[in-house]
Amino acid sequence: MAKGQSRIELLQGTLDFIILQTLRWGPQHGFGIGQQIRANSDDALQVDTGSLYPALHRLERAKLVEGSWDRSDKGQHVRVYRLTTAGRKRLAADRSKWERMTHAIAGILNPPQRREES
Amino acid sequence: MRDDELDEELRSHLEMDIAQRMTRGASRADAEAAARREFGNVTHVAEVTREMWGGQWIEQLRRDLRYARRSLWRSAAFTTVVVIALALGIGANAAIFSAVRGVLLKPVPNKDGDRLVYLRQSANGPGQADISFSVPEVRDLRTGVSSFSGIAEYSSISVVHRSSEGPVRISVGLVTGNYFEVMGLSPVLGRLTHTADDGPSAAPVAVLSYEYWKTRFGGDARIVGSTILLNDRPVTVIGVVQPAPFFPERVDALLNLVNSAHHLSAAMQQNRTHRMTQLVARLKSGATLDQAKVQVATVYAGLQRAFPEAYSAGERYQVAVIPFKDVLGERVRLTLWLLMAAAAFVLVVSAANVANLTLMRCVRREHELVVRTALGASRSRLRRLLLVENLMLAMAGCGFGVGIAVAGVRLLTAFTRRYTSRASEIRLDSTVFTFAVAVAIGLALLLSLLASLPREANVGSSVLAGPQRVSGSLRRQRLQRGLVVLQVAVSVVLLAGAGLLTRTMMSLSRIDTGLTTDDVLTLRVNLLTALAPGDTNAYAVVRARFEDVRSALASLPGVSRVGVSSSEPLQALGNYSLVRADGPTASTGEAVARADFRPADPSYFAAAGIPLLRGRGFDAADESRDNVIINKTLADQFFPNRDPIGKRIAVKEEGSANALHWRTVIGVAGNTRDMTPKAAPELVVYTPLSGMPATFAVFVVRADGHLTGLAPVATRIVREHAPNALIEDVMTMSEYKSQSVAPQRLNAVLISSLGGLAVIIAAVGIAGVLAFSVSARTNEIGIRMSLGADRKRIQRMILGEGGVLLVVGLAIGGVGAYATTGVMRNLLFGVAPHDAVTFGVVMAAMAVVGVIACWIPASRAARIDPAIAMRI
Repeated sequence: MAKGQSRIELLQGTLDFIILQTLRWGPQHGFGIGQQIRANSDDALQVDTGSLYPALHRLERAKLVEGSWDRSDKGQHVRVYRLTTAGRKRLAADRSKWERMTHAIAGILNPPQRREES
Repeated sequence: MRDDELDEELRSHLEMDIAQRMTRGASRADAEAAARREFGNVTHVAEVTREMWGGQWIEQLRRDLRYARRSLWRSAAFTTVVVIALALGIGANAAIFSAVRGVLLKPVPNKDGDRLVYLRQSANGPGQADISFSVPEVRDLRTGVSSFSGIAEYSSISVVHRSSEGPVRISVGLVTGNYFEVMGLSPVLGRLTHTADDGPSAAPVAVLSYEYWKTRFGGDARIVGSTILLNDRPVTVIGVVQPAPFFPERVDALLNLVNSAHHLSAAMQQNRTHRMTQLVARLKSGATLDQAKVQVATVYAGLQRAFPEAYSAGERYQVAVIPFKDVLGERVRLTLWLLMAAAAFVLVVSAANVANLTLMRCVRREHELVVRTALGASRSRLRRLLLVENLMLAMAGCGFGVGIAVAGVRLLTAFTRRYTSRASEIRLDSTVFTFAVAVAIGLALLLSLLASLPREANVGSSVLAGPQRVSGSLRRQRLQRGLVVLQVAVSVVLLAGAGLLTRTMMSLSRIDTGLTTDDVLTLRVNLLTALAPGDTNAYAVVRARFEDVRSALASLPGVSRVGVSSSEPLQALGNYSLVRADGPTASTGEAVARADFRPADPSYFAAAGIPLLRGRGFDAADESRDNVIINKTLADQFFPNRDPIGKRIAVKEEGSANALHWRTVIGVAGNTRDMTPKAAPELVVYTPLSGMPATFAVFVVRADGHLTGLAPVATRIVREHAPNALIEDVMTMSEYKSQSVAPQRLNAVLISSLGGLAVIIAAVGIAGVLAFSVSARTNEIGIRMSLGADRKRIQRMILGEGGVLLVVGLAIGGVGAYATTGVMRNLLFGVAPHDAVTFGVVMAAMAVVGVIACWIPASRAARIDPAIAMRI
């Protein structure tokens, strides 16, 4: 499938970082996190539910996120996840690591224009 | 709780996706389908997510266990058969392994016990397999062999221990002071003997064995320092030794030499042929067994050169140096390994059977596994489920097996006690338990590998095929059939062994003992109390008491004759002396015969039922004459084609250097034969009673047809005459006979039960595989029937299928039995290891059982209703 080919295989540990980054804007449920990752990556990153939920539960067990039951805007009973203090610290550390990494890779590729990541 | 939450979380994900798709204009159905497609396998997602939870494996194990329990419960018949088969297999193996380990494998408890060696002097002839050493020989070995750090001397005798609880006969070891140091033993209480306890001036002391201290004195620590009465002499208990084996038999106490006047006598100390001392030596550190063997052989060769009269050339004297551990288990080694092999065979048969049952169950469950895969269970998860199930089965089998082993160990301990002092070391300890668990886990792993799991790629077609599709893959069928053949073959080997041992027992119990009657009761009476210390007239006093008891017994109703002797009929007294016939002077190096000297009173022959073939029996006047009666074997050997009556035989008695005593033959008695596999008819010389040790007597009571109830009456009569005497061996001749074949009977019973077990399991195996084949072929059979095959034909077809397996199994088993029964040669009597009759009977029996096992599924196949069969 053409669409499948445009997807990017996620490196080990990358998904955790992306989830934490996504939760930076506030509490979100699993479905929402998936949607947001997809939207923010121009459909390049499509997270499998079989990866997303294990990752969420793994992060929860590591006390980087915290899950709780809530009502969605449509009144549905949903489980939402929010960053914990430890999660914020981890995100900050991972972020600087990732920025250095993308910077380094960008340097190697030596592109005509550099695009700053927000 | 948490599972529900996860389910709800995933459900809400789907709902939100559907809702979103519907807002974009999709119909409910389309949205749902698309959302599900995108979501993937819900069960699978839940499964992998759950794995992230902490303490997950415990949770999973709990779930797997619950699942396994439910699934095993549903197939209760399968579970029962498997658990029983495994329990029997594991139980028999654990019990016999405990015995093998305790008696043959485990290091002896002695400190550095692997450096202990037993020295065995032997010569050709009856009773000479282990003749032990004389004190002068020991002295020469001690000075000549430098690779020993010490040589401990001991001899075992039995004494009567008299206490407030009444007299008991106990075995004791008379040991030199260095015994415990050489043996590497420590006291649990008090002290052990040392060299200061040697010599005639030492006080008599005793060290109790741990077992006797526990059983007789209840483990009372106050026993140390107290005095006990052994053979009516006071002996001070100085300590209790750690549990340790003694050779050749278990002992209850160890005494210093001063306890036996004989051991300090000149005859014992100086006579080179007065051999009563057994030796255990300790290898010096750095010295090897081979060095010791060479040095012992050198010293011994020197002794034979220096003292030719002590080593009659015709008898081939030799000395062997044997590791102590090996000598302790030598008499039971072959039997134990045989049992171990038989038990291993049973385990093979039951494991093969369980494997077959598991294979069949797997086929029936194929659909279930396919559905589970379709629902998202990963292959590794299914493997784990099967493994947990098999582990559960194996552990249940192991649990019951250990129960069986506990009973088995008790039986084996009683059995091996006759042959080795290490029997008390047999126990089901953690090592044996680990062994059983390891066997169980190994089996479970093996069984789990047998199951073939559905491949994810084929799941679709497999689900569509539906539950009725039973896949009988060729490979699996071959495996099943191979397992059946294996079971039959192994059963045949076991049965052959069992058959040979049963024949051995039968030929032993049919031995012609040479006695004309079985209606004889014997009582061994120790009249120790009758002897006043220092009474020079003791012998006459004792004889008078014997006579009183004899006539009292003779006056009992139904009793026809009562004789007195030193040994029960059919029991060698072991009182061997060298004898030589009168006639031309013996040339040097002439083989001398060794005969057992058995005292007998005038009534003995008639009472015991030993026929007198020539001459006359003893009369009262013979007491003071040098007259003897010889048995037929001796007469044939010494006086071939001549009348022995009135001829003389020369007796060279131990302790009297080279002096010969001349005895006149007055009669020839029929041969009697001990009922042990190895015993050839012995040379026997019967002497008048005056040659008898005065301390005990055996009363031989003949009561033709009136034996029932005689034992308690006779015991009471003896008790009246000797209130404090120890009365032993009260038994009838048939009891004695049955007791003397008891070891062989137990051998036969043990191996036969293992063989029977294997046959039953194998029969279940054949029937099961055929029944499975029938159910898999129901459709085919239906078609055959509707095309005109009659019931007989169908039955023949299934019978033929089983028959082929049976025949192949029988053939392989027959060859296997032929190849292996040779190792049993030493356990057999009156039957050859490759006895055709036994093999024939065994094969026939297996064939009959096999055919019956085939018959049941075959007739079930014949009853299939084609109309119903086709519909399925």
